[in-house]
Amino acid sequence: MKVLRLKRLALTIVLASAWLIFGSMAASAGVGPALRVSLQAPAGALKMGDTPNFLGAVTNLGRQPAQGLVVYLSLVSLAPGHEHPVDLEDWSAQKAVRLDRLNPGATDFRNWGMRLIAAGKYGVALTVVDPREPRPIVSDLVPFEIQPKATLVAGRVLLVAIGEPLLIILLLGGIFFYNSRSYHKHKKEGLG
Amino acid sequence: MKVWVPLVKREFQEDFKASRGMAFFLIAALVLSAFAVLLVSNTELSLLDNTQAVYMMAGIVLALAALVAVIRGSDGFAGERDRQTLEPLLLTPINGPGLAAAKLGGIVFSWLTLFTLAIPYLWAVGSTGQNFFAAILYLFLAGTLIVLSFGGVALALSARLRTFKGVLSLGLTLLLLLGSPVLLGPSLRQSAVGRVLDLANPFAAALNTLDSVIIDSQGLSWQLLRLAVMVGYALAVLWWLYTATRRLEP
Repeated sequence: MKVLRLKRLALTIVLASAWLIFGSMAASAGVGPALRVSLQAPAGALKMGDTPNFLGAVTNLGRQPAQGLVVYLSLVSLAPGHEHPVDLEDWSAQKAVRLDRLNPGATDFRNWGMRLIAAGKYGVALTVVDPREPRPIVSDLVPFEIQPKATLVAGRVLLVAIGEPLLIILLLGGIFFYNSRSYHKHKKEGLG
Repeated sequence: MKVWVPLVKREFQEDFKASRGMAFFLIAALVLSAFAVLLVSNTELSLLDNTQAVYMMAGIVLALAALVAVIRGSDGFAGERDRQTLEPLLLTPINGPGLAAAKLGGIVFSWLTLFTLAIPYLWAVGSTGQNFFAAILYLFLAGTLIVLSFGGVALALSARLRTFKGVLSLGLTLLLLLGSPVLLGPSLRQSAVGRVLDLANPFAAALNTLDSVIIDSQGLSWQLLRLAVMVGYALAVLWWLYTATRRLEP
């Protein structure tokens, strides 16, 4: 009888512990905010000087509102052998925003614009930092390519860059010719 | 009034009839050509389409104008003194400030010629972009005020110091001092100290005006403070030049 009581007590303790452990895990999974982040590249080819918008979406999949989220964009150059992070300030891009509150099931859509200033292969990703979560959530890397574009009309620039000094050289030659001619004229008159 | 005419004529002739003056314009055109070719070869300069190229070209023109003003201003009285031609000038019925005005007129005329030479380059790099005519107008305004300031300072120093070399080195040092903060870049100049230094520096005020007009498409109301700073400097320098040349010594 005593053994049976002890067995029951042990079973109760085990069950209670199991309920406490798994119950709290389940509770934390259901209560804490679960976020999903995605980024979409604009349709069509991109070239230097364009200011396309990348559509970002942050969704709260949890049961409780997410608060104080920080969302930011990252841009990397994927040129083979020259991969490096790119300073978004030069690209006139909005670098980060703060989302005060994102309700359960809600999605925050946002356009992330930037001015494309250099040709090449790039990748862009969106990151969400939840202050209550240990890890940031990063979207898939969106690769894209920027086609080069000549900004200046080379023919016109070269025409002026070569033509104007040549014109001045011609004028200099004219002045030199005029001066030497009048010098010789005066010299002759003086001799005469 | 008629005694001014031969002096002003002489200053203008140094620019056009003398080969030395024309050689200067050739060098200025070559500098602008080299820069324009550099712009063509750099495809990354499409940051703001052609506006960035126009702004950079306008900055080069402004720096050249200030440099020319310092060199010609240094030569104004000290050069004449070195060549021992100042004494005959002082024997003419025109007084010191009148001589200074004629010399300053010559410097402004050099600037106008440089400005005319620069217009085709500005057109070449920027006519397909925005704010082209505003760039021309504000370059003329800012350039004239900068030339009056730097040319006036160099002339005033030239009236006081004995040698051309001394005035030139002092003038170039001043130009370098005022020009160097601009080289720090816009991000470093965004701080409170940087903004104050920018506002107190006529060269920076001129460049910031061009930046604001050409790149940011901002109107006259945004430029008033900077223009006032440049006008203030120009007036102060002209007053100093007047007092420095009242009693000229050979």
